[in-house]
Amino acid sequence: MSQQSTLKKYASLYYAFFRASLQADLEYRANFTLRIVTDVFWYAAQIFTFEVLYRHTKFIGHWNLDQTRVFLGILFVVDAIYMILLHDNLERFSDKVRKGDLDLLLVKPVRSQFMISFQRVGTANFANLIMAVAWLWWSLSRLPDFNLIKLLWLLIVIPNGFMFLYAFRFCFACTAVIFTRSENLQFIWYNIYKLGTRPDSIYAPWMKYILMTVVPVALIASVPARVIIDEPSWPLMIWSFLLGPTMIYGTTLFWKFCLKHYSSASS
Amino acid sequence: MLYANFWRRNLGFAKLAIASNIEYRLNFLVDALVQPCLSSVVEVVLWISIFAGAGMTLIGGFPVESYISYALWATFMGRISSSWMYEFRMIEEIDSGSINSLIVRPMSFYEYYLSQLMGYKFITTAVSLVVPLVLFQIFNLPFHLDRLPICLILVFYYLILVHSLSFIVASLAFYLNRAHSFTAAKNLGLWLLSGELFPLDLLPEPFKTLFSYLPFSSGVYVPTAYITGRIGQEAVIQGFISVTGGLIVANLIGWALWKQAMKNYSGTGA
Repeated sequence: MSQQSTLKKYASLYYAFFRASLQADLEYRANFTLRIVTDVFWYAAQIFTFEVLYRHTKFIGHWNLDQTRVFLGILFVVDAIYMILLHDNLERFSDKVRKGDLDLLLVKPVRSQFMISFQRVGTANFANLIMAVAWLWWSLSRLPDFNLIKLLWLLIVIPNGFMFLYAFRFCFACTAVIFTRSENLQFIWYNIYKLGTRPDSIYAPWMKYILMTVVPVALIASVPARVIIDEPSWPLMIWSFLLGPTMIYGTTLFWKFCLKHYSSASS
Repeated sequence: MLYANFWRRNLGFAKLAIASNIEYRLNFLVDALVQPCLSSVVEVVLWISIFAGAGMTLIGGFPVESYISYALWATFMGRISSSWMYEFRMIEEIDSGSINSLIVRPMSFYEYYLSQLMGYKFITTAVSLVVPLVLFQIFNLPFHLDRLPICLILVFYYLILVHSLSFIVASLAFYLNRAHSFTAAKNLGLWLLSGELFPLDLLPEPFKTLFSYLPFSSGVYVPTAYITGRIGQEAVIQGFISVTGGLIVANLIGWALWKQAMKNYSGTGA
Protein backbone atom coordinates (compact mmCIF):
# COMPACT_ATOMS: atom_id res chain seq x y z
CA MET A 1 0.00 0.00 0.00
CA SER A 2 1.40 3.41 -0.95
CA GLN A 3 2.11 6.01 1.69
CA GLN A 4 -0.64 8.24 0.32
CA SER A 5 -3.32 5.56 0.52
CA THR A 6 -2.15 4.62 4.03
CA LEU A 7 -2.53 8.23 5.09
CA LYS A 8 -5.95 8.34 3.45
CA LYS A 9 -6.99 5.20 5.26
CA TYR A 10 -5.95 6.59 8.64
CA ALA A 11 -7.57 9.95 7.92
CA SER A 12 -10.89 8.30 7.04
CA LEU A 13 -10.58 6.07 10.08
CA TYR A 14 -10.03 9.11 12.28
CA TYR A 15 -13.02 10.82 10.73
CA ALA A 16 -15.12 7.76 11.61
CA PHE A 17 -13.78 7.93 15.19
CA PHE A 18 -14.70 11.58 15.34
CA ARG A 19 -18.27 11.01 14.16
CA ALA A 20 -18.79 8.12 16.55
CA SER A 21 -17.38 10.14 19.47
CA LEU A 22 -19.53 13.16 18.65
CA GLN A 23 -22.67 11.03 18.52
CA ALA A 24 -21.75 9.31 21.78
CA ASP A 25 -20.95 12.60 23.51
CA LEU A 26 -24.12 14.35 22.39
CA GLU A 27 -26.19 11.49 23.70
CA TYR A 28 -25.34 12.57 27.25
CA ARG A 29 -25.80 16.33 27.15
CA ALA A 30 -25.28 17.03 30.86
CA ASN A 31 -22.06 15.06 30.77
CA PHE A 32 -21.02 16.96 27.64
CA THR A 33 -21.56 20.33 29.33
CA LEU A 34 -19.88 19.26 32.54
CA ARG A 35 -16.76 18.19 30.71
CA ILE A 36 -16.43 21.75 29.45
CA VAL A 37 -17.08 23.13 32.94
CA THR A 38 -14.47 20.82 34.46
CA ASP A 39 -11.77 22.19 32.22
CA VAL A 40 -12.91 25.72 32.91
CA PHE A 41 -12.31 25.00 36.61
CA TRP A 42 -8.82 23.80 35.77
CA TYR A 43 -8.12 26.94 33.75
CA ALA A 44 -9.52 29.05 36.58
CA ALA A 45 -7.25 27.31 39.09
CA GLN A 46 -4.15 28.05 37.00
CA ILE A 47 -5.15 31.66 36.33
CA PHE A 48 -6.20 32.22 39.91
CA THR A 49 -2.88 30.95 41.28
CA PHE A 50 -0.82 33.38 39.23
CA GLU A 51 -3.21 36.32 39.62
CA VAL A 52 -2.97 35.87 43.40
CA LEU A 53 0.82 35.48 43.41
CA TYR A 54 1.29 38.55 41.22
CA ARG A 55 -0.69 40.59 43.73
CA HIS A 56 2.33 40.19 46.00
CA THR A 57 5.16 40.61 43.49
CA LYS A 58 5.73 42.31 40.12
CA PHE A 59 7.96 39.60 38.65
CA ILE A 60 8.23 35.85 38.99
CA GLY A 61 11.41 34.76 37.30
CA HIS A 62 11.88 37.55 34.79
CA TRP A 63 8.28 37.44 33.58
CA ASN A 64 5.60 39.90 34.59
CA LEU A 65 1.89 39.10 34.85
CA ASP A 66 1.12 39.83 31.18
CA GLN A 67 3.88 37.52 30.01
CA THR A 68 2.79 34.78 32.39
CA ARG A 69 -0.74 35.10 30.99
CA VAL A 70 0.68 34.35 27.53
CA PHE A 71 2.42 31.30 28.97
CA LEU A 72 -0.91 30.17 30.43
CA GLY A 73 -2.61 30.74 27.09
CA ILE A 74 -0.16 28.43 25.34
CA LEU A 75 -0.49 25.88 28.14
CA PHE A 76 -4.29 25.94 27.79
CA VAL A 77 -4.13 25.51 24.01
CA VAL A 78 -1.75 22.53 24.25
CA ASP A 79 -3.85 21.06 27.04
CA ALA A 80 -7.08 21.51 25.06
CA ILE A 81 -5.56 19.74 22.04
CA TYR A 82 -4.44 16.97 24.37
CA MET A 83 -7.92 16.72 25.86
CA ILE A 84 -9.50 16.49 22.40
CA LEU A 85 -7.13 13.98 20.89
CA LEU A 86 -5.72 11.85 23.66
CA HIS A 87 -7.14 12.22 27.13
CA ASP A 88 -10.08 9.82 26.89
CA ASN A 89 -7.96 7.18 25.20
CA LEU A 90 -4.97 7.18 27.48
CA GLU A 91 -6.97 7.73 30.66
CA ARG A 92 -8.97 4.54 30.08
CA PHE A 93 -6.07 2.50 28.83
CA SER A 94 -5.43 0.75 32.16
CA ASP A 95 -9.07 -0.41 32.19
CA LYS A 96 -8.77 -1.69 28.63
CA VAL A 97 -5.80 -3.83 29.63
CA ARG A 98 -7.48 -5.17 32.75
CA LYS A 99 -10.80 -5.97 31.10
CA GLY A 100 -9.25 -7.55 28.03
CA ASP A 101 -10.43 -4.86 25.59
CA LEU A 102 -6.87 -4.40 24.42
CA ASP A 103 -7.02 -7.82 22.75
CA LEU A 104 -9.73 -6.59 20.41
CA LEU A 105 -7.63 -3.58 19.43
CA LEU A 106 -4.53 -5.67 18.81
CA VAL A 107 -6.21 -7.90 16.26
CA LYS A 108 -7.49 -5.03 14.10
CA PRO A 109 -5.71 -4.45 10.77
CA VAL A 110 -4.31 -1.03 11.77
CA ARG A 111 -1.42 0.05 13.95
CA SER A 112 -2.35 -0.73 17.54
CA GLN A 113 -0.66 2.43 18.83
CA PHE A 114 -2.93 4.50 16.59
CA MET A 115 -6.03 2.71 17.83
CA ILE A 116 -5.04 3.10 21.47
CA SER A 117 -4.12 6.74 21.15
CA PHE A 118 -6.87 8.10 18.94
CA GLN A 119 -9.94 5.87 19.05
CA ARG A 120 -11.95 8.32 21.14
CA VAL A 121 -12.18 12.05 20.43
CA GLY A 122 -13.05 14.45 23.25
CA THR A 123 -15.50 16.48 21.21
CA ALA A 124 -16.71 18.50 24.22
CA ASN A 125 -13.23 19.93 24.57
CA PHE A 126 -13.51 21.85 21.31
CA ALA A 127 -15.29 24.45 23.42
CA ASN A 128 -12.25 24.51 25.70
CA LEU A 129 -9.96 24.96 22.72
CA ILE A 130 -11.98 28.01 21.67
CA MET A 131 -11.70 29.42 25.20
CA ALA A 132 -7.98 28.68 25.31
CA VAL A 133 -7.38 30.41 21.98
CA ALA A 134 -9.47 33.38 23.12
CA TRP A 135 -7.43 33.66 26.33
CA LEU A 136 -4.18 33.39 24.36
CA TRP A 137 -5.31 36.06 21.93
CA TRP A 138 -6.37 38.39 24.73
CA SER A 139 -3.11 37.88 26.62
CA LEU A 140 -1.06 38.46 23.46
CA SER A 141 -2.94 41.69 22.77
CA ARG A 142 -1.77 42.97 26.16
CA LEU A 143 1.91 42.56 25.29
CA PRO A 144 3.28 46.01 24.36
CA ASP A 145 5.84 44.77 21.82
CA PHE A 146 3.85 41.94 20.30
CA ASN A 147 4.58 41.22 16.68
CA LEU A 148 1.98 39.34 14.61
CA ILE A 149 4.67 37.51 12.63
CA LYS A 150 5.69 35.79 15.83
CA LEU A 151 2.31 34.09 15.79
CA LEU A 152 3.51 31.96 12.87
CA TRP A 153 5.99 30.39 15.26
CA LEU A 154 3.06 29.07 17.24
CA LEU A 155 2.05 26.90 14.29
CA ILE A 156 5.32 25.04 14.72
CA VAL A 157 6.04 25.21 18.42
CA ILE A 158 2.59 24.27 19.72
CA PRO A 159 2.42 20.96 17.76
CA ASN A 160 5.98 20.33 18.93
CA GLY A 161 4.94 20.90 22.55
CA PHE A 162 2.04 18.56 21.98
CA MET A 163 4.43 15.86 20.75
CA PHE A 164 6.24 15.90 24.11
CA LEU A 165 2.98 15.74 25.95
CA TYR A 166 1.86 12.77 23.88
CA ALA A 167 5.16 10.91 24.21
CA PHE A 168 5.23 11.27 27.99
CA ARG A 169 1.61 10.48 28.59
CA PHE A 170 1.62 7.51 26.24
CA CYS A 171 4.66 5.92 27.90
CA PHE A 172 3.10 6.32 31.35
CA ALA A 173 -0.19 4.83 30.10
CA CYS A 174 1.68 1.88 28.55
CA THR A 175 3.00 0.81 31.94
CA ALA A 176 -0.47 -0.69 32.46
CA VAL A 177 0.51 -3.45 30.02
CA ILE A 178 3.43 -4.40 32.27
CA PHE A 179 1.90 -3.85 35.72
CA THR A 180 -1.80 -4.53 34.86
CA ARG A 181 -2.95 -2.05 37.51
CA SER A 182 -1.05 1.20 37.26
CA GLU A 183 -3.58 3.96 38.02
CA ASN A 184 -1.32 5.41 40.65
CA LEU A 185 1.65 5.47 38.30
CA GLN A 186 -0.46 7.81 36.19
CA PHE A 187 -0.51 10.24 39.10
CA ILE A 188 3.28 10.37 38.92
CA TRP A 189 2.83 11.68 35.42
CA TYR A 190 0.49 14.41 36.69
CA ASN A 191 3.10 15.49 39.23
CA ILE A 192 5.78 15.71 36.58
CA TYR A 193 3.38 17.53 34.27
CA LYS A 194 2.71 19.99 37.08
CA LEU A 195 6.31 21.17 36.78
CA GLY A 196 5.60 21.97 33.15
CA THR A 197 2.53 24.00 34.08
CA ARG A 198 4.75 26.67 35.61
CA PRO A 199 6.95 28.99 33.50
CA ASP A 200 10.50 27.65 33.35
CA SER A 201 11.75 31.14 34.20
CA ILE A 202 10.85 30.54 37.85
CA TYR A 203 13.22 27.59 38.21
CA ALA A 204 16.84 27.63 39.25
CA PRO A 205 19.26 27.00 36.33
CA TRP A 206 19.97 23.38 37.33
CA MET A 207 16.26 22.66 37.59
CA LYS A 208 15.60 24.35 34.27
CA TYR A 209 18.30 22.20 32.70
CA ILE A 210 16.63 19.03 34.01
CA LEU A 211 13.23 20.18 32.73
CA MET A 212 14.68 20.88 29.29
CA THR A 213 16.66 17.68 28.93
CA VAL A 214 16.11 14.78 31.35
CA VAL A 215 12.37 15.30 31.89
CA PRO A 216 11.63 17.82 29.14
CA VAL A 217 8.20 18.99 30.33
CA ALA A 218 9.33 22.61 30.00
CA LEU A 219 9.20 22.09 26.23
CA ILE A 220 5.41 21.68 26.38
CA ALA A 221 4.52 25.31 27.08
CA SER A 222 7.53 27.24 28.38
CA VAL A 223 9.61 27.02 25.22
CA PRO A 224 6.69 28.01 22.93
CA ALA A 225 5.96 30.92 25.28
CA ARG A 226 9.57 32.05 25.19
CA VAL A 227 9.44 32.18 21.40
CA ILE A 228 6.59 34.66 21.65
CA ILE A 229 7.74 36.63 24.68
CA ASP A 230 11.52 36.67 24.24
CA GLU A 231 13.60 36.29 21.10
CA PRO A 232 13.73 32.66 19.85
CA SER A 233 16.88 30.92 21.05
CA TRP A 234 18.17 28.88 18.11
CA PRO A 235 20.02 26.16 20.07
CA LEU A 236 16.88 25.66 22.13
CA MET A 237 14.67 25.56 19.06
CA ILE A 238 16.92 23.03 17.32
CA TRP A 239 17.00 20.89 20.46
CA SER A 240 13.24 21.11 20.76
CA PHE A 241 12.63 20.17 17.10
CA LEU A 242 15.03 17.25 17.24
CA LEU A 243 13.71 15.91 20.51
CA GLY A 244 10.00 15.94 19.55
CA PRO A 245 10.17 13.42 16.66
CA THR A 246 12.78 11.38 18.55
CA MET A 247 10.44 11.02 21.48
CA ILE A 248 7.55 10.04 19.21
CA TYR A 249 9.77 7.36 17.69
CA GLY A 250 10.69 6.33 21.24
CA THR A 251 7.00 5.73 22.01
CA THR A 252 6.73 3.17 19.20
CA LEU A 253 9.76 1.32 20.54
CA PHE A 254 8.40 1.43 24.09
CA TRP A 255 5.00 0.19 22.91
CA LYS A 256 6.64 -2.79 21.21
CA PHE A 257 8.61 -3.47 24.38
CA CYS A 258 5.42 -3.38 26.46
CA LEU A 259 3.61 -5.72 24.09
CA LYS A 260 6.35 -8.30 24.63
CA HIS A 261 5.28 -8.36 28.29
CA TYR A 262 1.59 -8.56 27.53
CA SER A 263 -0.31 -11.67 28.47
CA SER A 264 -3.87 -11.39 27.22
CA ALA A 265 -6.37 -10.64 29.97
CA SER A 266 -9.45 -11.98 28.20
CA SER A 267 -8.19 -15.36 27.05
CA MET B 1 -26.63 -4.60 70.43
CA LEU B 2 -27.78 -2.56 67.48
CA TYR B 3 -24.77 -0.27 67.77
CA ALA B 4 -22.41 -3.21 68.29
CA ASN B 5 -23.65 -4.71 65.03
CA PHE B 6 -23.34 -1.36 63.31
CA TRP B 7 -19.74 -0.86 64.36
CA ARG B 8 -18.76 -4.47 63.66
CA ARG B 9 -20.27 -4.28 60.20
CA ASN B 10 -18.58 -1.00 59.35
CA LEU B 11 -15.25 -2.15 60.73
CA GLY B 12 -15.61 -5.08 58.36
CA PHE B 13 -16.15 -2.72 55.41
CA ALA B 14 -13.12 -0.68 56.43
CA LYS B 15 -10.98 -3.81 56.67
CA LEU B 16 -12.25 -4.90 53.27
CA ALA B 17 -11.04 -1.60 51.79
CA ILE B 18 -7.64 -1.94 53.45
CA ALA B 19 -7.21 -5.50 52.18
CA SER B 20 -8.30 -4.69 48.63
CA ASN B 21 -6.04 -1.64 48.44
CA ILE B 22 -2.90 -3.38 49.61
CA GLU B 23 -3.59 -6.33 47.32
CA TYR B 24 -1.68 -4.64 44.49
CA ARG B 25 1.37 -3.67 46.53
CA LEU B 26 3.21 -1.67 43.93
CA ASN B 27 0.09 0.34 43.23
CA PHE B 28 -0.41 0.95 46.94
CA LEU B 29 3.20 1.94 47.56
CA VAL B 30 3.05 4.38 44.68
CA ASP B 31 -0.19 5.77 46.09
CA ALA B 32 0.93 6.02 49.70
CA LEU B 33 4.63 6.82 49.40
CA VAL B 34 5.93 7.65 45.93
CA GLN B 35 3.13 10.07 45.08
CA PRO B 36 3.34 12.10 48.31
CA CYS B 37 7.14 12.26 47.99
CA LEU B 38 6.95 13.44 44.41
CA SER B 39 4.11 15.90 45.09
CA SER B 40 6.04 17.29 48.07
CA VAL B 41 9.20 17.77 46.01
CA VAL B 42 7.23 19.47 43.24
CA GLU B 43 5.48 21.86 45.65
CA VAL B 44 8.68 22.71 47.52
CA VAL B 45 10.54 23.37 44.27
CA LEU B 46 7.72 25.59 43.07
CA TRP B 47 7.63 27.76 46.18
CA ILE B 48 11.42 28.06 46.40
CA SER B 49 11.43 29.05 42.74
CA ILE B 50 8.64 31.57 43.22
CA PHE B 51 10.53 33.25 46.07
CA ALA B 52 13.84 33.17 44.17
CA GLY B 53 12.18 34.42 41.00
CA ALA B 54 10.32 37.19 42.79
CA GLY B 55 13.49 38.21 44.65
CA MET B 56 11.52 38.71 47.88
CA THR B 57 12.01 37.46 51.43
CA LEU B 58 8.35 37.76 52.44
CA ILE B 59 5.15 37.11 50.52
CA GLY B 60 1.90 38.02 52.26
CA GLY B 61 3.94 38.58 55.45
CA PHE B 62 5.39 35.05 55.61
CA PRO B 63 8.92 33.81 54.76
CA VAL B 64 9.82 31.02 52.35
CA GLU B 65 10.11 28.43 55.16
CA SER B 66 6.50 29.07 56.08
CA TYR B 67 5.41 28.43 52.47
CA ILE B 68 7.50 25.26 52.22
CA SER B 69 5.87 24.02 55.43
CA TYR B 70 2.48 24.96 54.06
CA ALA B 71 3.16 23.28 50.72
CA LEU B 72 4.31 20.05 52.38
CA TRP B 73 1.34 19.78 54.71
CA ALA B 74 -1.13 20.99 52.10
CA THR B 75 0.00 18.25 49.74
CA PHE B 76 -0.49 15.69 52.49
CA MET B 77 -3.86 17.03 53.65
CA GLY B 78 -5.05 17.44 50.07
CA ARG B 79 -4.37 13.81 49.35
CA ILE B 80 -6.28 12.63 52.41
CA SER B 81 -9.23 14.90 51.89
CA SER B 82 -9.99 14.03 48.27
CA SER B 83 -12.09 11.14 47.02
CA TRP B 84 -12.14 9.87 43.45
CA MET B 85 -12.00 6.11 43.52
CA TYR B 86 -14.99 5.33 45.72
CA GLU B 87 -17.13 7.96 44.09
CA PHE B 88 -16.49 6.36 40.69
CA ARG B 89 -17.33 2.96 42.16
CA MET B 90 -20.59 4.24 43.63
CA ILE B 91 -21.58 5.68 40.25
CA GLU B 92 -20.67 2.45 38.50
CA GLU B 93 -22.72 0.37 40.93
CA ILE B 94 -25.75 2.48 40.03
CA ASP B 95 -24.97 2.64 36.30
CA SER B 96 -24.44 -1.09 35.94
CA GLY B 97 -27.28 -2.17 38.18
CA SER B 98 -24.98 -4.06 40.55
CA ILE B 99 -26.35 -1.78 43.28
CA ASN B 100 -29.27 -4.25 43.51
CA SER B 101 -27.15 -6.69 45.46
CA LEU B 102 -26.20 -3.93 47.91
CA ILE B 103 -29.58 -2.37 48.61
CA VAL B 104 -31.14 -5.67 49.60
CA ARG B 105 -28.58 -6.14 52.36
CA PRO B 106 -29.21 -4.91 55.93
CA MET B 107 -27.00 -1.86 55.56
CA SER B 108 -27.08 1.44 53.75
CA PHE B 109 -25.27 2.23 50.52
CA TYR B 110 -23.95 5.41 52.20
CA GLU B 111 -22.33 3.66 55.15
CA TYR B 112 -20.96 0.82 53.01
CA TYR B 113 -18.86 3.23 50.98
CA LEU B 114 -18.15 5.67 53.82
CA SER B 115 -16.54 2.91 55.88
CA GLN B 116 -14.54 1.72 52.92
CA LEU B 117 -13.38 5.27 52.22
CA MET B 118 -12.35 5.69 55.86
CA GLY B 119 -10.48 2.38 55.86
CA TYR B 120 -8.63 3.29 52.70
CA LYS B 121 -7.80 6.79 53.97
CA PHE B 122 -6.72 5.41 57.33
CA ILE B 123 -4.13 3.05 55.86
CA THR B 124 -2.97 5.64 53.32
CA THR B 125 -2.65 8.33 56.00
CA ALA B 126 -0.72 6.01 58.32
CA VAL B 127 1.85 5.28 55.62
CA SER B 128 1.94 8.71 53.94
CA LEU B 129 2.36 10.60 57.21
CA VAL B 130 5.95 9.39 57.28
CA VAL B 131 6.77 11.65 54.33
CA PRO B 132 6.05 15.11 55.85
CA LEU B 133 7.31 14.04 59.28
CA VAL B 134 10.68 12.89 57.90
CA LEU B 135 11.02 15.94 55.64
CA PHE B 136 10.26 18.30 58.51
CA GLN B 137 12.91 16.64 60.67
CA ILE B 138 15.51 16.76 57.90
CA PHE B 139 14.95 20.38 56.91
CA ASN B 140 14.02 21.60 60.38
CA LEU B 141 10.95 23.43 59.11
CA PRO B 142 8.53 25.29 61.39
CA PHE B 143 5.42 23.37 62.45
CA HIS B 144 3.53 22.40 65.62
CA LEU B 145 3.57 18.64 66.10
CA ASP B 146 1.15 18.88 69.05
CA ARG B 147 -1.49 20.30 66.67
CA LEU B 148 -1.32 17.32 64.31
CA PRO B 149 -3.96 15.11 66.03
CA ILE B 150 -6.68 17.78 65.98
CA CYS B 151 -5.83 18.58 62.36
CA LEU B 152 -6.18 14.93 61.37
CA ILE B 153 -9.51 14.72 63.22
CA LEU B 154 -10.72 17.79 61.30
CA VAL B 155 -9.60 16.34 57.96
CA PHE B 156 -11.32 13.01 58.65
CA TYR B 157 -14.44 14.88 59.74
CA TYR B 158 -14.26 16.85 56.50
CA LEU B 159 -13.89 13.54 54.67
CA ILE B 160 -17.42 12.66 55.79
CA LEU B 161 -18.59 15.82 54.05
CA VAL B 162 -16.62 14.86 50.94
CA HIS B 163 -18.29 11.45 51.03
CA SER B 164 -21.69 13.08 51.41
CA LEU B 165 -20.97 15.12 48.28
CA SER B 166 -19.89 11.91 46.55
CA PHE B 167 -23.18 10.36 47.62
CA ILE B 168 -25.06 13.27 46.00
CA VAL B 169 -23.08 12.86 42.78
CA ALA B 170 -23.63 9.10 42.81
CA SER B 171 -27.37 9.59 43.42
CA LEU B 172 -27.48 11.72 40.29
CA ALA B 173 -26.58 8.56 38.37
CA PHE B 174 -30.18 7.42 38.98
CA TYR B 175 -31.42 10.46 37.08
CA LEU B 176 -28.71 10.88 34.45
CA ASN B 177 -27.22 8.26 32.21
CA ARG B 178 -23.72 9.49 32.83
CA ALA B 179 -22.64 11.25 36.00
CA HIS B 180 -18.86 10.73 35.91
CA SER B 181 -18.15 14.28 34.84
CA PHE B 182 -19.75 15.58 38.02
CA THR B 183 -16.95 13.90 39.94
CA ALA B 184 -14.23 15.67 38.03
CA ALA B 185 -16.02 19.03 38.17
CA LYS B 186 -16.76 18.65 41.89
CA ASN B 187 -13.21 17.63 42.77
CA LEU B 188 -11.67 20.45 40.77
CA GLY B 189 -14.04 22.87 42.48
CA LEU B 190 -13.03 21.54 45.90
CA TRP B 191 -9.36 21.73 44.91
CA LEU B 192 -9.82 25.38 44.04
CA LEU B 193 -11.70 26.23 47.24
CA SER B 194 -9.75 24.10 49.71
CA GLY B 195 -6.51 26.08 49.68
CA GLU B 196 -4.30 23.35 48.26
CA LEU B 197 -3.07 25.57 45.45
CA PHE B 198 -1.94 28.42 47.69
CA PRO B 199 -2.71 29.65 51.23
CA LEU B 200 -6.16 31.25 51.20
CA ASP B 201 -4.83 34.18 53.28
CA LEU B 202 -3.06 35.42 50.13
CA LEU B 203 -6.45 36.14 48.56
CA PRO B 204 -7.80 39.68 48.53
CA GLU B 205 -10.90 40.55 50.57
CA PRO B 206 -13.77 39.60 50.42
CA PHE B 207 -12.65 36.28 48.87
CA LYS B 208 -10.28 35.60 51.74
CA THR B 209 -13.05 35.72 54.36
CA LEU B 210 -15.59 34.00 52.14
CA PHE B 211 -13.31 31.08 51.23
CA SER B 212 -12.12 30.69 54.82
CA TYR B 213 -15.68 30.41 56.13
CA LEU B 214 -16.77 27.85 53.57
CA PRO B 215 -16.54 24.25 54.84
CA PHE B 216 -14.18 23.33 52.00
CA SER B 217 -11.28 25.23 53.58
CA SER B 218 -11.36 22.65 56.39
CA GLY B 219 -9.97 20.05 54.02
CA VAL B 220 -6.62 21.71 53.46
CA TYR B 221 -6.26 25.37 54.40
CA VAL B 222 -7.48 25.30 58.02
CA PRO B 223 -5.54 22.19 59.18
CA THR B 224 -2.43 23.19 57.23
CA ALA B 225 -2.45 26.82 58.34
CA TYR B 226 -3.06 25.73 61.93
CA ILE B 227 -0.26 23.18 62.00
CA THR B 228 2.17 25.64 60.41
CA GLY B 229 1.18 28.47 62.76
CA ARG B 230 -0.54 30.80 60.29
CA ILE B 231 -3.86 30.74 62.16
CA GLY B 232 -5.10 30.06 65.69
CA GLN B 233 -7.39 27.55 67.37
CA GLU B 234 -10.53 29.62 66.76
CA ALA B 235 -10.21 28.92 63.01
CA VAL B 236 -10.18 25.18 63.70
CA ILE B 237 -13.33 25.49 65.83
CA GLN B 238 -14.88 27.52 63.02
CA GLY B 239 -13.80 24.72 60.64
CA PHE B 240 -15.65 22.08 62.68
CA ILE B 241 -18.75 24.29 62.75
CA SER B 242 -18.73 24.98 59.01
CA VAL B 243 -18.17 21.30 58.16
CA THR B 244 -21.11 20.42 60.43
CA GLY B 245 -23.25 22.95 58.55
CA GLY B 246 -22.04 21.53 55.25
CA LEU B 247 -22.82 17.99 56.41
CA ILE B 248 -26.38 18.92 57.31
CA VAL B 249 -27.00 20.58 53.95
CA ALA B 250 -25.23 17.87 51.89
CA ASN B 251 -26.96 15.00 53.68
CA LEU B 252 -30.37 16.61 53.32
CA ILE B 253 -29.83 16.96 49.58
CA GLY B 254 -28.38 13.44 49.33
CA TRP B 255 -31.25 11.98 51.35
CA ALA B 256 -33.87 13.71 49.20
CA LEU B 257 -32.21 12.60 45.95
CA TRP B 258 -31.80 9.03 47.18
CA LYS B 259 -35.35 8.77 48.50
CA GLN B 260 -36.83 10.03 45.26
CA ALA B 261 -34.55 7.74 43.23
CA MET B 262 -35.52 4.70 45.29
CA LYS B 263 -39.20 5.46 44.74
CA ASN B 264 -38.76 5.36 40.98
CA TYR B 265 -36.03 2.74 40.72
CA SER B 266 -36.86 -0.66 39.35
CA GLY B 267 -33.92 -2.95 39.95
CA THR B 268 -33.62 -4.71 36.65
CA GLY B 269 -30.56 -5.56 34.63
CA ALA B 270 -28.19 -6.62 37.40
